[in-house]
Amino acid sequence: MEKSFNLLHIIQHRRDGYGFALRPQHIQRYREYANIFKEEEEERSYKWSYFIEQQQKSNHSSSSEEERRAKLQAEADELREETVSERGRQEDDSSGKNSDSDGSTKSYPGKEVQLSEQPEKKVQLSEQPENEVQRSEQPEKEVQLSEKPQKEVQLSEEPEKDLKLSEQPEKEVQLSKEPQKEVQASQIPGRETLLSKESDKQGQLLKETKTRKVKSWSWTRPSLHVIENMMSSRVRNIKDLKDRHNTINGDHLPSIKKTVSSGGSSAVEINKELWIKEASDDNVDESTEESSVDSKLGPESFFPWKELEFLVHEGVPKDLRGEVWQAFVGVKTRRVERYYEGLLAEETNTEQSKEHNNSKAAPRKWKKQIEKDIPRTFPGHPALDERGRDSLRRVLVAYARHNPSVGYCQAMNFFAGLLLLLMPEENAFWTLVGILDDYFDGYYTEEMIESQVDQLVFEELILNHLDYLGVQVAWISGPWFLSIFINMLPWESVLRVWDVLLFEGNRVMLFRTALALMELYGPALVTTKDAGDAITLLQSLAGSTFDSSQLVLTACMGYLAVTEARLLELREKHRPAVLVVVEERSKGGRIWKDSKGLASKLYSFKHDPGSLVEEKKVSEGDKSLLESHSSNLDDFLSGLSVDSEVDSLPDPQEHVVWLKVELCRLMEEKRSAVLRAEELETALMEMVQQDNRRQLSAKVEQLEQEVADLRQVLADKKEQEAAMLKVLMRVEQEQKITEEARIGAEQDAAAQRYAVNVLQEKYEKAMAFTWSDGAESAKALSSPRSVSSSVESPRRRIGLFGLGWRDRNKDKDKPSNDDSGTS
Amino acid sequence: MGCSSSLPDRSTGRLGGLNVSESGGVVDAKNLRVKLVLLGDSGVGKSCIVLRFVRGQFDPTSKVTIGASFLSQTIALQDSTTVKFEIWDTAGQERYAALAPLYYRGAAVAVIVYDITSPETFTKAQYWVKELQKHGSPDIVMALVANKADLHEKREVPTQDGIDYAEKNGMFFIETSAKTADNINQLFEEIGKRLPRPSST
Repeated sequence: MEKSFNLLHIIQHRRDGYGFALRPQHIQRYREYANIFKEEEEERSYKWSYFIEQQQKSNHSSSSEEERRAKLQAEADELREETVSERGRQEDDSSGKNSDSDGSTKSYPGKEVQLSEQPEKKVQLSEQPENEVQRSEQPEKEVQLSEKPQKEVQLSEEPEKDLKLSEQPEKEVQLSKEPQKEVQASQIPGRETLLSKESDKQGQLLKETKTRKVKSWSWTRPSLHVIENMMSSRVRNIKDLKDRHNTINGDHLPSIKKTVSSGGSSAVEINKELWIKEASDDNVDESTEESSVDSKLGPESFFPWKELEFLVHEGVPKDLRGEVWQAFVGVKTRRVERYYEGLLAEETNTEQSKEHNNSKAAPRKWKKQIEKDIPRTFPGHPALDERGRDSLRRVLVAYARHNPSVGYCQAMNFFAGLLLLLMPEENAFWTLVGILDDYFDGYYTEEMIESQVDQLVFEELILNHLDYLGVQVAWISGPWFLSIFINMLPWESVLRVWDVLLFEGNRVMLFRTALALMELYGPALVTTKDAGDAITLLQSLAGSTFDSSQLVLTACMGYLAVTEARLLELREKHRPAVLVVVEERSKGGRIWKDSKGLASKLYSFKHDPGSLVEEKKVSEGDKSLLESHSSNLDDFLSGLSVDSEVDSLPDPQEHVVWLKVELCRLMEEKRSAVLRAEELETALMEMVQQDNRRQLSAKVEQLEQEVADLRQVLADKKEQEAAMLKVLMRVEQEQKITEEARIGAEQDAAAQRYAVNVLQEKYEKAMAFTWSDGAESAKALSSPRSVSSSVESPRRRIGLFGLGWRDRNKDKDKPSNDDSGTS
Repeated sequence: MGCSSSLPDRSTGRLGGLNVSESGGVVDAKNLRVKLVLLGDSGVGKSCIVLRFVRGQFDPTSKVTIGASFLSQTIALQDSTTVKFEIWDTAGQERYAALAPLYYRGAAVAVIVYDITSPETFTKAQYWVKELQKHGSPDIVMALVANKADLHEKREVPTQDGIDYAEKNGMFFIETSAKTADNINQLFEEIGKRLPRPSST
């Protein structure tokens, strides 16, 4: 228990730049990518600001801006009345940090609204110098503004807030927060340009989102009106299309199209031209002049779609994202004044009065489910505090009321939660309406038909790309599609996918992204040994797709062939099968067994031939499916043997159908077998190569060993040589010494010879002296002989000595020569 | 309790066949591989049971499951067989039932969960039992799980009701608490014991 508590505690601090929890195993990679994200963000901020600037220059006259501001002002006044009470209620819920906002809201209700519009004015300010006039018109308001909680936003968005720091009643309360604000201000010093931010800190995010929620509605900044207008016409086209469709089909979907028209903007319905100006929408009365101005300009036909598309593929800057998304979805055109408040009011009224009415059973069920799911939506996200959850609840309840054919479906909670992080409450509601009613029409209804159809379509697409080890692709892609990748990919990637999806206005991006993921990770799946491992691997790989740019570009560039037109075609093909099953099921019929065929029809044919009769029912309702199958397969049909199971089939037509399907399956299997064989072959090759490598490396090792040995030997030899040299030197020294000894001895000999000569002379003198004596001459004759012999003997001794020395010297030289010879 | 749900073991090197998912996936007599599906009303704690079993964690603020999520975990039984559970944790909201066949088809085990503090979820559990009896594999092993047993002071479904219903329908019954980890491992061990063993080849 304690362990899990600690874990939770740690996780609280592991959130990404959007305040969403990071899985522990991804923290490292997120950190690696955080800098990349930041760089990309800076780049795209620059590009977008440039783009918007260009668009404004070319498309907006200052007069139209003037109009817009007037309108904005009027809107703000109106908003004041509408939302004050609402806001007051919200403020009551706030705690801690927001406690001071309570007071201010109550004491300055009117200015509060003014304030909530403030960020927009700032935008204008940074774009149009003449806005200064407007500022000076309300100087006292500016001053008073400063003590509002929204100051936090101003703080983070405009540098000149210092000017406004002035007296405030709740100063003491605020003081405690001052340090925090200081930190924030210092964190983001150069925030002049509206696009320059990298709001990575969750604290800041928290503040921004909280403040945003104070506003229940805000207009998009004027700079984005060009994009907004472009998309509005798309919205109207869809509406027209659907209205026509609905009148034909006997509409049971009281969705936005109806409510909009009843909401007082019938002008929309009448306008069927393609690129008509948006200003004629819900605010007809307020903006007629403006509309005329704008339609005169008629810039849409020159609108640089490609450029915008390119920008969208690279991602929408964080601080523009909320408004750009609204522009893409066409919130402005969709919005009906007071509609949202009306829905909420309706809810609270009916709550008490019609509690026992049967028709309210469904709404009650949704309400209950919503309550269950609210705490389970981005649990722990700093923005989803008490107040955030209230907003979430209101948006979801309002949508359920708005479109009872859908009501509430799990997954919406995540969408609404995400949108609320990016925009005010009512804006989030209208964006959600756009996404669910248009982009995902039929997806989240009770039967989830379109969702099932899309899975069949995706299965068909994916079979052309990869083989899945018996993994049914829908197992994985189902959750991907239904959640629009929320919680399936890292947040940066989710948002980038949403950027494109909302821009394109259809579900093509779902398919492209899923295909891109399969392309990116398909090869890795080959290594898995069973379906479970493959799924686990794919899930974990998808969850770590931090390279959002790679993902989006692979999706958008790699799958250009997957177009809305093609998808529509494929959906038409697969829809009947789904419809039949759903219908049968709702009748409580026995077709249930076939619903498995839905997910993979081919499979059930093989494994459950007994159900073929039932399957036939589906088939008949699904002529188009089978026909398209057959058209593909007729060519291959001849010359193929099929299992003996066939014989038991009752009807030849059925037989043919079955054969075709069987054939289809066999071909799929064959293809996948071929694929797998190829993969195995490459794997084998790799293994062989690795084997070779191992041998080579062994050889290299051996050789290296040899080299080392030789080196060792060499070193030994060198040592020996050195020893020899030493010996040699010693010998030479000895030689020198003996030479010296010889010289000494020779000198001795010379000295002795000299002594002998002296003695000889003395002897001869003595002889000569004694010769005269006569008598002594005989004695003397014998003695010289003895003397001569004694003189001779030392000479011989010397000679012997000299020879002996030489011999000895020779002996010593000889072995030393042998030694050096061996070295 | 280790998490064995991570990357595949390359050394074994066997590539899965096309049909593995269909059979309930028995590998051999000593190493079983089974597809298990969790069904039950929204918020009864299906995801929490799985997370407790696979990761040993409990997060009271877990998020809503959309569609289905997948995790796997291997356990060793006393008779030294290993069972690898491939667990499909499905979304609880009623309309997602339309997608449930996708996940329970071919499953060898179905774990049907209800919340002891909510009789409504017990009714829903009975719906799922009937549905599986009609459309699941005939030899599917079914377990009826009464979750949130730690909230016994708020209990509204008597234990005996669960036991009786399970007995009547040939299921086995267990009360668990993902929060306290009570009986979670026992649940899966018991399932492992009850799995039909492949006849010796």
